Amino acid sequence: MKTLILGLGNSILSDDGIGINIAHELEKIRPPLPAEIREGSVAGLSILDEIDGYDKVILIDSIKTGKNEPGSIYRLKPEDFNSTSQLSNSHGIDFFAALKFGEKFGYILPKTIDVYAVEVEDNTTFNERCTSKVEASVSKLVQEIVRSLR
Amino acid sequence: MTKKISIDPITRLEGHGKIEIFLDDSGNVKNAYLQVPELRGFEQFCIDRPVEELPRITPRICGVCPMAHHMASTKTVDAVYHVKPTPTAVKLRNLVYDAYIMEDHLLHFFFLGGPDFVVTPSAPPEERNILGVISKVGLETGKKVIETRKKIREIVIHLSGRIIHPVSGLPGGVSKGLIEEKRIEFLKYAEDALAFAKETLQIFNDIVLKNDKYLDLIVGDIYKHKTYYMGLVDEKNKVNFYDGKIRVVDPNGKELVKFEAKDYLEHIAEHVEPWSYMKFPFLKAIGWNGFIDGKDSGVYRVAPLARLNASDGMATAIAQAEYEKMYDALGGKPAHNTLAFHWARLIEVMYAAEHMFELLKDKGITSDDIRNIPTEVPDEGIGVVEAARGTLFHHYKTDENGIITAVNLIVATVGNAAAMSMSIAKAAQYLIKDGEVNDGLLNMVEMAFRAYDPCLACATHSLPGQMPLEVNIHNSKNEVVKTIRR
Repeated sequence: MKTLILGLGNSILSDDGIGINIAHELEKIRPPLPAEIREGSVAGLSILDEIDGYDKVILIDSIKTGKNEPGSIYRLKPEDFNSTSQLSNSHGIDFFAALKFGEKFGYILPKTIDVYAVEVEDNTTFNERCTSKVEASVSKLVQEIVRSLR
Repeated sequence: MTKKISIDPITRLEGHGKIEIFLDDSGNVKNAYLQVPELRGFEQFCIDRPVEELPRITPRICGVCPMAHHMASTKTVDAVYHVKPTPTAVKLRNLVYDAYIMEDHLLHFFFLGGPDFVVTPSAPPEERNILGVISKVGLETGKKVIETRKKIREIVIHLSGRIIHPVSGLPGGVSKGLIEEKRIEFLKYAEDALAFAKETLQIFNDIVLKNDKYLDLIVGDIYKHKTYYMGLVDEKNKVNFYDGKIRVVDPNGKELVKFEAKDYLEHIAEHVEPWSYMKFPFLKAIGWNGFIDGKDSGVYRVAPLARLNASDGMATAIAQAEYEKMYDALGGKPAHNTLAFHWARLIEVMYAAEHMFELLKDKGITSDDIRNIPTEVPDEGIGVVEAARGTLFHHYKTDENGIITAVNLIVATVGNAAAMSMSIAKAAQYLIKDGEVNDGLLNMVEMAFRAYDPCLACATHSLPGQMPLEVNIHNSKNEVVKTIRR
């Protein structure tokens, strides 16, 4: 099975870079995980280009709900996303709409897509480091992803 | 350990917009403002870093327009080191930049702005998206969008290393040249891109311009503001994305000023409002007189229609013919119709495609003379480009070792900040009467600012915990009486 782990975010915008940090940590795991590991600051349609051709994809990103403590981890599936509201939104190309679009236009989309997201505290200050609570989630989430792959 | 929740979807592309509408005592619109989240500490982040790192750092400000920041930054580093890029490097920079503009504009037309027009502004929300566009223009056209985008991206990736975080720009040139084999391959891509640009204009013509309802919307008063316009022009005053002088015309189309990037602070100042993190640039010669249009207001506009208004034409043949056709249809130049930004955007797509084709026909582009090595002591530099979303300024100061001591940017979307608020207010004025909020408010207001293709994602990129667009309507006592979210 061809698996991709894609850490998303902006590595110079404090907690926004958490997905990328986790991808870097996963790269250090020995023996190496049975997956290709990449980072990207991509969105919407461009994600299709990244995940095209894989059987399974694990996306790691930040999330801001304000409802849980920074560092809280969420595990989501594409179907958890409220599709109708976003497809009605022509303001941006969201992930779900991009997947629908990809299906229609011959992209080879993964059968399994897992989305892990970490609740952030600060994603508006330019800094290469995450805040401490968010940084503390790294080992927890790394372990969880490793377990899911072994 | 983990929680399963149902959330609103990932919307990474454009960031959040929050619109505040203020009503007067009789329930009519007094003011409306577009708010965006603030990003803090960029200058601090850059200070003490070597200046040549900035062409690789600044594209990370925003995942939407990395190439524009990379190019503005590269040109600024040229200026800091007092070095000119070689003629071949200039050709290669132009080629990759045209490719970026074309891809970005096509994405906007088909995916973001297109749903308003191609699908129809009054279509049910669930149809106003790319899938609605495809069902209207046909699957074949949809496939061509994908293929064209893919080929253009290949050009960008080949020349700049990466699409999201380009790395090719160096002071005095570029890091990678073009071999003959690739020139021939990309020439074919450019030919295909040119054919698709023609097709896209034909789609706009057939679906939008031949529909009286759409045309009425474009030329109608609801989406019109008479402002100043700014854009880069070449020595013949033709639109140029990469280089030239910055030309500003008044609401009657008369040249107010034409200046070099290095003099930008003599001509542009920034107004600050207590309610917004975004600064509002205005023309110093006219002054800030509030969120109003007209000759006495220093508010100016940037981006496609503004560039065309500020120029005397396009530098390529087909784009020039389309330019003339647009102004004939809109009743002359300058055109003040905000929705015509969509039209102007497609004329720029045509220019970008023709220009790419011209550049690639020239075998000189494969020369290996791609860099002049800087020899001067670095100090200060200012660089400008036309980003897809408007004029983009970078300004760096360094010590004698090239270590950054100060950074200032005027990003493209900010150039339209005041005008976007004005456009939103005007649309809202038509749709809120005596306290009654028309159901179509959100769509019509969205259309007002989407025409500018704003990139509010010079803001956070996280998954949203709230909807990407929120409109708050305040009564005359400043209490929120209604919130509409999407």
